[in-house]
Amino acid sequence: MLRLEGVTKSFGDKRAVDQVSLVVPTGQLVGVIGRSGAGKSTLLRMINRLGDPSHGRILFGDTDITALKGRALRQWRARCAMIFQQFNLAGRLDVLNNVMMGRLSRVGTTRALLKLWSEDDRAIALSALDQFDMAGLAAQRADTLSGGQQQRVAIARAMVQEPDIILADEPIASLDPRNTKIVMDSLLRINKHFGITVVCNLHSLDTARAYCDRLVGMAQGKVVFDGAPQTLTDDIARDLYGLDAGEVMDTAGTALPLPVQEGRPSLAVA
Amino acid sequence: MLGLVLVLVFSVLSAWIGEVDPAKFWNGLPRFVSYFHDILPQLRLASLGADLEEWFWNLDGWLGLLFDTLLVAYVGTLFGAIAAFVLCFLASANLTRSATLRFASRRLLEFCRTVPEIVFALMFVYAFGFGAMPGVLAIAIHTAGALGKQFSEVVENVDMHPVDGLTATGATYVETIRFGVVPQILSNFMSYSLLRFEINVRGATVLGFVGAGGIGKELISSIRQFYYADVSAILLIIIATVFLIDWLTERLRHRLLSLDGAEQ
Amino acid sequence: MIRQTDVDRAGLKERYPETFRTPVLAHAVYLTIVTAGAGLVVYALWRFGFSPAKFLDGLGKLGTVLTLMVPPDPGSQLWKYVAALGETLSIAFLGTLGAAILALPASMLAAKNVVANRFVHFASRRFLDSIRGIDTLIWALIWINVVGLGPFAGILAIMTSDFGSFGKLFSEAIEASDRKPVDGVTSAGGSDLHGFRFGVLPQVLPILLSQVLYYFESNTRSATIIGIVGAGGIGLYLANEIAQAEWQSVAFLILMILATVAAIDWISAKIRFAVIGRRGVVA
Ligand SMILES: Nc1ncnc2c1ncn2[C@@H]1O[C@H](COP(=O)(O)OP(=O)(O)O)[C@@H](O)[C@H]1O
Ligand SMILES: [Mg+2]
Repeated sequence: MLRLEGVTKSFGDKRAVDQVSLVVPTGQLVGVIGRSGAGKSTLLRMINRLGDPSHGRILFGDTDITALKGRALRQWRARCAMIFQQFNLAGRLDVLNNVMMGRLSRVGTTRALLKLWSEDDRAIALSALDQFDMAGLAAQRADTLSGGQQQRVAIARAMVQEPDIILADEPIASLDPRNTKIVMDSLLRINKHFGITVVCNLHSLDTARAYCDRLVGMAQGKVVFDGAPQTLTDDIARDLYGLDAGEVMDTAGTALPLPVQEGRPSLAVA
Repeated sequence: MLGLVLVLVFSVLSAWIGEVDPAKFWNGLPRFVSYFHDILPQLRLASLGADLEEWFWNLDGWLGLLFDTLLVAYVGTLFGAIAAFVLCFLASANLTRSATLRFASRRLLEFCRTVPEIVFALMFVYAFGFGAMPGVLAIAIHTAGALGKQFSEVVENVDMHPVDGLTATGATYVETIRFGVVPQILSNFMSYSLLRFEINVRGATVLGFVGAGGIGKELISSIRQFYYADVSAILLIIIATVFLIDWLTERLRHRLLSLDGAEQ
Repeated sequence: MIRQTDVDRAGLKERYPETFRTPVLAHAVYLTIVTAGAGLVVYALWRFGFSPAKFLDGLGKLGTVLTLMVPPDPGSQLWKYVAALGETLSIAFLGTLGAAILALPASMLAAKNVVANRFVHFASRRFLDSIRGIDTLIWALIWINVVGLGPFAGILAIMTSDFGSFGKLFSEAIEASDRKPVDGVTSAGGSDLHGFRFGVLPQVLPILLSQVLYYFESNTRSATIIGIVGAGGIGLYLANEIAQAEWQSVAFLILMILATVAAIDWISAKIRFAVIGRRGVVA
C-alpha cells in the first residue's frame, strides 16, 4: 500500500505539489490527470525519490520512503520502476543493455560496469523484450528505434526490475495511436496479471477513463478529484482542464477498453 | 573607436615597460636572419651523405631523448586525463548537487591549469630531483586542470534523460555515470585528450630547460653554447616529430568522430 | 511478479543464440589496447627510474615545501614583483597584438579561397606549422641571442610563436567564410583586394578578434614563465626564488600570477562577449 501524507514540493515560491494526501491500495491502476503544469510529474518523481518533498511523508507499507538514504534508497527505487514520457533510455547503448539497466541493483557493481551480464539476466531481459516482439532488436542501438519501440524497451526495463509498483509519467504522450494502445495494454496487463500497483500520469482523459480503476485529478498542485472513472462527470473534467478540455476529451477511438492479453506462460504470477 | 585608442595607449605603455627598442630590433634583425643561416650546416651535393651524417652526428642520442619527451607527454596526458575524468563530474552542476564539492573541485581544476606546467616542473625538480618524473607530474597536473574544465563543460551539456532513467532504476552514482553519461561523452573526451597530447608534446620539449627530462636539456645547452648545427638538427627533429604526432592524432580523431555513431 | 526461474531460458537461447554469445573478439581487442596502453606506462616509469620509495620521499619534501609557503610573503621585493608583473602583461599584450597584425597577411596566403595556388597554400601552411611546432620558450632563447636578455626578447618570442598559431587559425576562419558577399563586391567591379576587405573581413573579424583575445589570455600565462630563460617578466623571479628555496616568496608570486590571470580572463571574457556574443571561441 502506498500512502502519501501531506506531500508538498516547492520550487522557490511556487508550490508545484501542495498538501497531497492519498492512499493507493496494492494492485490498483491509478490514473493521475490534470492539465500540464498541475504537478503530476513532480508528484511521481517524489514517489521514486528523483525529487525530495519539501514537506510531508510518503510511505510504502511500513517503510517511510522519504527517510531512505544510500543503499536502502536505491533498493526502493529498484522496487519502484519508472516509465517516462521521453523514454529516458541510454540512447547510445543497445536495447539489451538498456533492459539490463533494470537488473543493476541485483548485479555486482564490477560485473555491471564491465557489462558482464549473467546468462540468467540475459534470459530475463530477452524474455521481457520477447513479450513486445522486440527480442530480435536486442543488439540495436536504442536511439535508432522509433518512439513506440523505445517505450516498449523502457517497459521491459521496468519489468525486469521485478517492481512492486510502476510509476508511468505520461508514457503515451509522445506516441502514435497504435503504440499508445500497445503501451497502455501492457501496463494494464502488468497490473491485472501480476497484481503490480501502477500509478500513471495521463493527459488524455479518455485513455484514463478507459484503463484506470481510479482517477486522481490535480490542479495547481492540489488533488481536486479522487474517485472511480465513471464519477468524473464532464463538468468536473471541464473544471479540471479549463480551456484544454476539448483537446483531452474528444479523442475517443484511441482509447477503447481492450481485452487484457494473457501474459506469456513463461512469466508467472508469484 | 574608443577601443582603438585604448589599444594604442596600451601599446605605447607596454612598449615602454617592455623595453621595446626599435634600434636594437633593427640592428638585431640581420642577426636573427643570419642566426638561421648560421645554424644551418654546409651541405654540399658532392658529399651530401657525409655532411648529413656530420650534421645529425648524435641522431641516436637525440632520438632517445625525444622518445623520453614523447613518453613524458604520453604518461602525463594519460594521468592528467584520468584525474580530469574523475574531477569533471564533481565539477558539473548537473551531476553534483553539493555546491561545496562543486566549488572545491572547480577551484582545484582552475589552480591546476592556471599555474604554468613549467612552474610545477621547477618545484617538482626541487622535490623529486632531476629527471623525467617531475616532468610527468607537472604535465599531469596541468593536463588535469585543462582537460577537467573542458570535460565538465561537455558533461554539463549531456542529455539528462538517461541519467534520470538510470537513477530511477536504483543504479548507483557510478553506474549512472557509466551507462547514462559516459556513452554520450566518450568520443568527445578522447578527442580533447588527443588534442591535449599534441599540446603536451610541444610543452614537454622545453621541460628539459629546467631539468625535467627529455630533449629540452640538450637543446638549451646547444643554444647557450652556440653549437649551431646541433640547434638546427634538434629543432628539425622536434618539428618533424610534432608534425608526425599532429598528423597521427588528427587521423585518430577523425576515426573517433566516425566511430561516434557506433555503440560504446 | 516476474521470476527468473519461470523464464524459458533454453528456448530463448535457441531462438536468440547471438545474445548469449560473449563477443570474444571485441573483448580481446579491447583488452589488447588497454594492456598496451598500461604496458607503455609501466615501461616509461621503469625507464624514468621511478621508485615508490623515491616518490614518497619527494612527496614528503613537497609537503614540507607547502607548509613553508604559508603565509605567502613577498619580503622586501614587493615593488620589484609588481614591476615584473607589469612587464609580463606588456609582453603578452604586445606579443599578441604584433602576432595578430603580422599574421593577417600571412593567413591570406595560407587560405585556399584567397590564394588559389596549391603550392603557395601548402608551403605557407607548413611554414606556419613549423613555427607553431617550436615552443615559445625556444623562440625566447633564440631571440635572446639576437636582441639580448630582457622583455623585448619575450615580446618577440610570443609574437613569433603566435604568428604561427594565428596564421593557421585565421586562414581556417577565412576559408570557412561565406563566398557570396565577395562575389557581390567583385561583380560590382571591385578588385580581389576589395573583395577581401569588404566581403571577407567583416565576416571573419569578430571571430579573429575573439581568437586574439583568447590567445591574449593564454599568453598572459606564457609570459609569466618566459622569464625563466631570461626573456623578461615575473618568471625570472619565480625561477630564482624556487632555486633559493624562498617558498614564501614563491607562494606570493604564484598568487600574484593566479590573480592576474583571473583578472585578464574576466576582462577578456567581457570584451569577447561584447564583440561576438555568447557564441564563445573557436580555439
Ligand atoms: N525543477 C523545477 N524547477 C522549478 N519549477 C519546476 C520544476 N519542475 C517543475 N516545476 C514547476 O512545477 C509545476 C508542476 O510541474 P509538473 O509536475 O511538471 O507538471 P505536470 O507534470 O502536471 O505537467 C509547473 O508549474 C512547473 O513549472
Ligand atoms: Mg509532466
